Amino acid sequence: MEGRKRIVVTGLGTINAIGGSTAEFASSLKKGVCGIAPIDLFETGGFHAANGGQIRGFNSRRSIPPEFSLKRMSRADQLSFAATLEALADAELWPIPALVKENTGVAIGGGSGGLLEAESFYARLMQKGADRAKFSRLSTIFCASSTDRIASLLGLLGPKSTFMTACSAGATALGYARDLIAGGMADIMLAGGVEPMCRITYAAFNALKSIDPDVCRPFDLDRAGLSLGEAAAVMVLEPLESARRRGAKIYGEILGYGVTCDSFHMTAPDEQASGAVRAMRAALADAGRTIYDIDYINAHGTGTPVNDVTETRAIKEVFGRRAYDIPVSSTKSMHAHTLGASGALEGIVSLLALAQGFIPPTINYKKADPQCDLDYVTSGTRKAQLRTVLSNSFAFGGNNTTVIFGRCDKESVSHERG
Amino acid sequence: MSGASTHLQGCRIAVTGVGLVTPLGIGREDFCKNLFSGVCAIDEVRGFDTGSSPSRLAAEVRGFSPRDFISVKNLRRMDKISQMAVAAARMALEDAGVAVTPENRDRIGILLGSAFGATDITVLLAEALLSRGASYVNPILVPNTVMNAPAGHASIELGFRGVNTTVTHFGVSAENAISYAVSEIRRGRADVMLAGGVDILSKFYYEALGRFRGLSPNDEGPEGSRPFDLRRNGFIAGEGCGLICLEPWDAACARGAKIYCEISGTGLGSSPSPPTAWPGDTDGIKRVLKRALQNAAIEPADVSAIMAAANGSPTLDDTEARAYEEMFYADGHAPFVTTVKGAAGESFSGGGIRACALALSMDMNYLPPVVGLLRPLTELNFIMNESRKTTMRHAVLSGISFGGTYACLVFTNRETKEVI
Repeated sequence: MEGRKRIVVTGLGTINAIGGSTAEFASSLKKGVCGIAPIDLFETGGFHAANGGQIRGFNSRRSIPPEFSLKRMSRADQLSFAATLEALADAELWPIPALVKENTGVAIGGGSGGLLEAESFYARLMQKGADRAKFSRLSTIFCASSTDRIASLLGLLGPKSTFMTACSAGATALGYARDLIAGGMADIMLAGGVEPMCRITYAAFNALKSIDPDVCRPFDLDRAGLSLGEAAAVMVLEPLESARRRGAKIYGEILGYGVTCDSFHMTAPDEQASGAVRAMRAALADAGRTIYDIDYINAHGTGTPVNDVTETRAIKEVFGRRAYDIPVSSTKSMHAHTLGASGALEGIVSLLALAQGFIPPTINYKKADPQCDLDYVTSGTRKAQLRTVLSNSFAFGGNNTTVIFGRCDKESVSHERG
Repeated sequence: MSGASTHLQGCRIAVTGVGLVTPLGIGREDFCKNLFSGVCAIDEVRGFDTGSSPSRLAAEVRGFSPRDFISVKNLRRMDKISQMAVAAARMALEDAGVAVTPENRDRIGILLGSAFGATDITVLLAEALLSRGASYVNPILVPNTVMNAPAGHASIELGFRGVNTTVTHFGVSAENAISYAVSEIRRGRADVMLAGGVDILSKFYYEALGRFRGLSPNDEGPEGSRPFDLRRNGFIAGEGCGLICLEPWDAACARGAKIYCEISGTGLGSSPSPPTAWPGDTDGIKRVLKRALQNAAIEPADVSAIMAAANGSPTLDDTEARAYEEMFYADGHAPFVTTVKGAAGESFSGGGIRACALALSMDMNYLPPVVGLLRPLTELNFIMNESRKTTMRHAVLSGISFGGTYACLVFTNRETKEVI
């Protein structure tokens, strides 16, 4: 069988509500910063909520060097490109050597794409008719355009794919990107997710009444819904051998992943949590790890009444009594739910936790829910030497993706080689 | 050679079923009859008013009765794109003779490609919000705005609970999906995978294609679908869903399944390109073809036929024809070239429909003609006028997208490996 090749992460890049860079993000995670506040990116009149995890102070011209034109780039394109550049620089692959471009690809999990910019197009179309609407604005509406921009601007010649599994898309992209390298289809993958905030997406969640008007409180008895956020999160994936050959720093290894479907309901999770259970088990099997290896679970933890209790049930089903010994936290309490980007953003959280030895907290937590009775890390960040972290992402459509990350320091490498 | 490649790749992949909701017919028999007799499914649009657009034609899915395939309870929640995907998924499983049971359902999955998703529903939602306000957004619409809704509906209706992934990448959405499905089986993540693509026509989408100057006639001449023809002047928009059913070769043999052909190699890649432009140079497509052939452990001279991406666009068809000439046409070797887009239009995720067509071609030893091709732009070995009887060892399915993305697959005759 193919696929025993070990794939590691050597560069991280992100822009989100609590960090304009990976370093700032790591510091905010440790401090327990809440990035959820009133939105001013668009008008929130008419909605029953007005808070979100908006990115503040992003200046595309400052983040993206002048040799790259920003023309016809949506906010999603700009955010994802800026995060990609950060990840490449972090991996010491910037500028990208010409030989490396041939087999470097891009896999991005998408969500709303260029819907923020398209809104003004739709408004004009409806008010003034097709002849007065600027159809050229649609050229960046689709999520694949962010992937295209990254690859074209950098001159990459490898595989290019855009994953659309809603709130698990970022995690799904990481998994398939890993497989592309393991299967010999690419040497390096730039993988992650991007989700811009926009009024149409906000309106959709508003209509479903799933937004907490205050801040989301994952696993709290009084939790009343999610907080919407935005982010770009991109990482550099490559084989362990090549990373070691070029002396790159290694955040961790993508040990395995699992993708399953509830086959139950489009928006409600199966209360038996079968899909989530199977995703975690598939990821453990793919990673060659057991429940005793997992030191921390980065939960999907949206803060909706049904998700958090269902996810808790799923964790207990998979881990049995050991569930009570594993710290579980939802960093969405800080950076909000970034939908298509969330799996990748929380992948970065998991890798930072492994590399820097900490467990990020679940903030905004006040009152215990008897149905959610695990260790949710509610009183601040903990120091901890972690070896293996599991990250869950669940989505509309009943899609579930679990990714498992492992520490990859010299000792563990030589040990496993021996 | 084949032994080494089998070892490298994990396991051989068999195509054991097809599911089709297309302008050329619903289901295998209907589709086959029309495909191989050279029927053209292009006609004046009936589904919506084409307004002031200079284009009037499309390849629409007609005579599709979702209730024949989908339970009334679930049908209520499905929009047009999901109906097509779910019906095609049911047909593909039935064609393969796979029954979903509590024992096997966690190992059956779907990898669906869609270029543009539910363009009809997104517009309804935007319209409600922008013209009438937030409280008029109908929550029933929301679940169908996510691009993974069709695959989610398919899993609910048909009961399979394994891998469920939706990918999008414009003109290579379906080829990408099939490539990842092959990988899922090679890596042992699933026992049965449905893979292909779905896209629909809508008034808004048709209007947008016209405004981007993609549709025929975007230049001089009459409107029409003419892949590889000197008189081509844009594509005719199409819609539909085509899914193939994939299984490990040994498992398919063990259960006595009918095997249409094998998928023996995949290749993915890119070339830098402006966002909405078709590639003008042949490097990208040739590089990815080489990757696919390498993955299948074959040489250009082993390729008997090509199921092309050409759709009647001036640049795309020219680039593609030159790439084949440079790559395959040497030392007297002249593989056949055909495509389904002349008859069924360009639906961007139509790689699923073309994959079904190629699997059926390899099974029946027939290649369908390029409908609409009268005056070829080069002297490639095009199938013209009528279907051609020929036994193929290996054939290539080419996916090429504007924006510079490529995905190619190698289909191998079910007898080929034994012959070697």
